This record gives sequence, C-alpha cells and structure tokens, in this order.
Amino acid sequence: MWCQQINMNDLNNTASLAIKDASSIKLEQVCLDIQGKRILDQLSFSTKVRRLGIIGRNGSGKSTLSRVLSGLIETKSGLLEVAGVNPFNDRKAALQEIGLLFQNPDHQIIFPTVLEEVVFGLRQLGEKKKQAEQIAKETLATFGKAHWENVHTSALSQGQKHLVCLMAVVAMQPNLIILDEPFAGLDIPTKRQLQRYLDKFPGSLIHISHDPGDLNDYDQLLWLESGQVAALGTPEEVLPKYLEEMHKIGDSDDISNLAH
Amino acid sequence: MISLTSPIETRAHHWSAGLKLGLLCATTLGLFFVESLIFHSVFLLGVIALYAMPGKAFFISGWQHLKMLWPFILVVAVWHLWTQEFALGATIIIRMVAAVALANLVTMTTRLSDMIEVVRFLARPFARLGLNTRALELSIALVIRMTPVLVSKGQSLSWAWKARSNKRSGWRVILPFTVLALDDADHVAEALRARGGLTNMEKK
Amino acid sequence: MEKNLTYTALFAALIAALGLVPKITLAFGVPITAQSMGIMLCGTILGAKRGGLAVLLFLLLVALGLPLLSGGRGGLGLFVSASGGFLIGWPIAAFVTGLIVEKWRSASLAVVSTVASILGGIVVMYVFGIAGMAIVLKKSLPDAAMLTMAFIPGDIVKAVIAGLLTSAIAKARPASVLSRAA
Repeated sequence: MWCQQINMNDLNNTASLAIKDASSIKLEQVCLDIQGKRILDQLSFSTKVRRLGIIGRNGSGKSTLSRVLSGLIETKSGLLEVAGVNPFNDRKAALQEIGLLFQNPDHQIIFPTVLEEVVFGLRQLGEKKKQAEQIAKETLATFGKAHWENVHTSALSQGQKHLVCLMAVVAMQPNLIILDEPFAGLDIPTKRQLQRYLDKFPGSLIHISHDPGDLNDYDQLLWLESGQVAALGTPEEVLPKYLEEMHKIGDSDDISNLAH
Repeated sequence: MISLTSPIETRAHHWSAGLKLGLLCATTLGLFFVESLIFHSVFLLGVIALYAMPGKAFFISGWQHLKMLWPFILVVAVWHLWTQEFALGATIIIRMVAAVALANLVTMTTRLSDMIEVVRFLARPFARLGLNTRALELSIALVIRMTPVLVSKGQSLSWAWKARSNKRSGWRVILPFTVLALDDADHVAEALRARGGLTNMEKK
Repeated sequence: MEKNLTYTALFAALIAALGLVPKITLAFGVPITAQSMGIMLCGTILGAKRGGLAVLLFLLLVALGLPLLSGGRGGLGLFVSASGGFLIGWPIAAFVTGLIVEKWRSASLAVVSTVASILGGIVVMYVFGIAGMAIVLKKSLPDAAMLTMAFIPGDIVKAVIAGLLTSAIAKARPASVLSRAA
C-alpha cells in the first residue's frame, strides 16, 4: 500500500515508496479486426519501462490496444504477453496485475456510492466483505478522501468521478495501470491534481493520449498509426517526428475522407 | 442499424408494402381457420418454394430466421407423441412454421423505408384525432439512431466490470446503463428544443 | 413536449440495447438477457402512458424489420409464432406496471416497483403470452400455462431486481423518474 502526504489536510501517514519492478509488455504480429475493419495490423513491439506513453491520432487503434493489453478483447492472431501472461486467457492473473482506467468515468462507475465502487474490485479479487471494506477505506484515506465514503457517485463532478475510478483501480493494487485518455475534457486545475495522484503510483503506467504535453517526462513513447508501430523510443526521439507529422496532416483535408 | 431486409433483390422487393402486408394478414388469418393437414403441408411447400426461388443465399438466410422456432416444435412434437395425436401435432407445427415463414418472407422482401411509408399512411387518419405524426417519425428515427449509441455505452460498462471481475457482469450494470439513457434523453431533448422542437414550423 | 418524445424513444432504444448487453446469469447459471427487465423499467420509471408508448414504439420497429429483439431477432414472423402473445402483452404490461407505480405512493419505491413489476411484467404479460400460445399451439389455456411455468421463478427474480434498480435510479436521477413526477 503506498501512502503519501498529498496535501496538508491528509492523514500523516508516510511510508517509503516501494517502487515496483517495471511490467514487461511483448506483442508479436498481433492482429485484430472489428466488424471487418483491421484495427491492429501485425503489431509487434517489446518494452519494459515504468512509464510508457502511447500517442497517435484518433482512430489509430490506441483505445483498442488498451483493451487488448488489459485482456478485455480477444486478438485474432499473434503473441500477447503482459507481465508474462496472456491477459485474455488468464483473467485471474490479469485482474491482479493490470488495472484499466477508461476515458469516460460515466461509462465506468457502476455503483451508487463511492465506497461500494471501490469495494467491488476487492471483493472480486476474493477479499471477504469486511476485509474489502477495510482496504477500501484505507485507499480513500490515502487519497485524503475518507469523507467520500457514502457520497453518491452521481453527485460528483467529472474530475471527482475520474478520481473515484482511479481509487477503485489502485485499491486492487495492480502492478500496471493502463489509462485511456484519462484527462479528456478536464479543466487545467483538475488535470494537474489528477496528474499528481498518478505520479505517485509506484507501479508501471501505460498512458494513452493524443496530447503529447501529458507525456513529456515518460520513459518511452509508442507512436501508433493505423494499428502499427510508427515509432518507439524516448520522448526526445519520438515527439518531434510525431508533432511534425500531425501538423502536416493538419494542413491537409483528410477529414473529408469517409471510412470504407 | 441494418434491417432484416434481404440484400438479395427479388421481384417482391418492388411490390407495394401495403399490399404485401394486407395479403399477409388475410392469409395468416385464413390459415388459422383451416384444419386440414394436407392443406397446410401443401401450403408450407409453397412457401418453401418461394424461399428457394431467389437462390441459395436467400434460402439459407431465411432458414436462419426460422431456426428460432425449434423449442416450440420440440415441445409440440414431444407432447403429441406422448398423447399419440400425430396428425394434430403435425398440423400445429406445419401451420406455425408456414405462418412465421410467410411473415418473415415479407420482412425479408420489404425495405425499411417502404415499411415506414405504410406507417405514415396508416397514421394519417389518426392525425385528425390528435396523433402527432411528426413526433412519431422523429421517434422512429431517434430509436434507430440511439440504439447503437446505447449498445456501445453498455459494452463499455460491461468491460468496466470485466476489468475488475471474473464473473459475468450482473444486473448491477443496468443501473448506470439506465442513468446514461436518461441523461441522453435530457441532452437530446435540449438539442431538439434548440432546433425548433416539436412546434409546427411549416409555413401555412 | 420534447422530453416526452426523447424519454420514450431512448427507453425504446434501451430495451433494444438490453437485448445485447449485458448478458446476465441467473443464480442457477442460466444466462438471460435483461430485455424483459427493460419492459418493467419502462413502466416503473416512465409511468403508464410513456412506458407503454416506449414499448409500443419498440415493437413497431421490430415489426418494421429491425433486429432489436434479444439475439438479433426481428420482423413480422415473431408476432405469429407461439411467443407472439408475449410480445403483444409487453406494452400492456409496461402500462399496468407504470399505473401501479404512479398510483401507489404509500410504500417504498423499491417495494412498489417490485410488486408493480410482478403484477404488470409477469401476471399481465403471461395472460397475453399464454393466450397466444394457446391459439398457435392449439392447446387449452391451462395446458399452455403449464408450458410457461418454468420461466416464472426467473421472472420473479427479474421483478425484484427491477424494484431495486428503480429505487437506485430514483436516488441518482430523481427528476427523471417520470412515474413519480406529478
């Protein structure tokens, strides 16, 4: 359990951060079709870093990749290994290793109160009700949100909902959290506050974004284009090429093209 | 959203939808007044012939739709084998299959737009009684538009469940699902109002 | 008013969506779809008139040939098959369910919705369903009723769930529960 002084109102509960070993990702010739359209095309890459960013245009396959890496959808072919297991086949290991944060918290929050939402994942991991509630309350306290226990999730602001989703995932203590455009549509202060919570996570993060500004400090960036790797390297290596390409496309008019 | 109209063009695709529906109603009603097993068998053969005429693909497609009748066929067959009323059992099964097959044939050979025309036609006399026909048309369009949107949201919620649980997503997911539908209803109402709403904007 | 229209249409879409997602497992491992629960919710949340209209709209689209019934089924054939009676009973079931929720205010919403779902979503629906089966399968009403008995326990579970859901939805979006808006 990672505890950290986050702001002056938090509980004084500091413990040393136990930095976890980076999660390894390996994909070889992974293909995925959705309704006849090829979304992931012979995708191959291998990496093992604590902070991986995935960038690309909308429609490049980033969201689909997040679902594949967390084992929610089945690939058509190819080798897929996250932290040594195939997350689709080995759901049990996947649930313990990998957490996923969706883009829209309204499509993710299932329960009416904050505590129930956080407890859910813990019960699914096998914790008994009392234990699960205890861990959930501890998680809330770590984030300084002990007073959110009985709050109705539908009464929260967008940023607060994002935080609830994050807490629900963190409570399950995964080694890897995949974030699918977690800051979409948030205002600057909320984004900065959520970013701070994210930065403290001792495990690995895979952060999908179309905004390179979020990923400047990351260890590695994967640039996905049409379901294939356009580039994989440090931000210094990848970002300039990415930005140049994005601006070039922006000067064109491919928005007129209809999908086949 | 794709309708069940067959993409394989037949002559029936061009016949008047109203005529087809009218004939279907009359024929189906008639079927339930006839008792003869021979009549029903011949009739069913005729319907099967109609399915075969446009070709193999059409026939197979039609067969897929009829497969859903198997539990009823099984129940009736077992029942009547037990009571030894073979002829009656056969009549029931054959008549049901023929009626469903004929109705399905109309569905497969009638375009959605033609069907909506029939609805429009049938709704006209009710307009005088206060039925808002424009609202009806809008509603139909809205359901067709919003069903895939809701399905996609429901899929996201199921995934959000699957990302944290090995068990099948239970009924609990229906709570946020319904809330999303209610929110969408509010948003679309707002958008409608912003574009003139249901007030009659036609120039007299 | 626009809200009447959009609420009706969105719930018709919701019934369709519930035919595909989520797949639920009953306690005994039997997979079911939530579509019939959607009918109950139309009544408990939208009330009698709008709830009935939503289901009617849904059926109209199924009749027009859209694959909105669970499993991607649709078309006119469904209305003349042995289960056709159930389809015809759906809008009336939603109407009765909604009527009970609108009129009975003295108990908790969860209890009222559950009872309403049983009386409307089960009793009324089965009356029409059994009648339909009796006609198509040429059986007496008691015989036809017997054939449907196996599904009733599952439907009662659904009615209870519908009651709980209605209560939870009322807490999340009190202004949207039109059955209690007056």
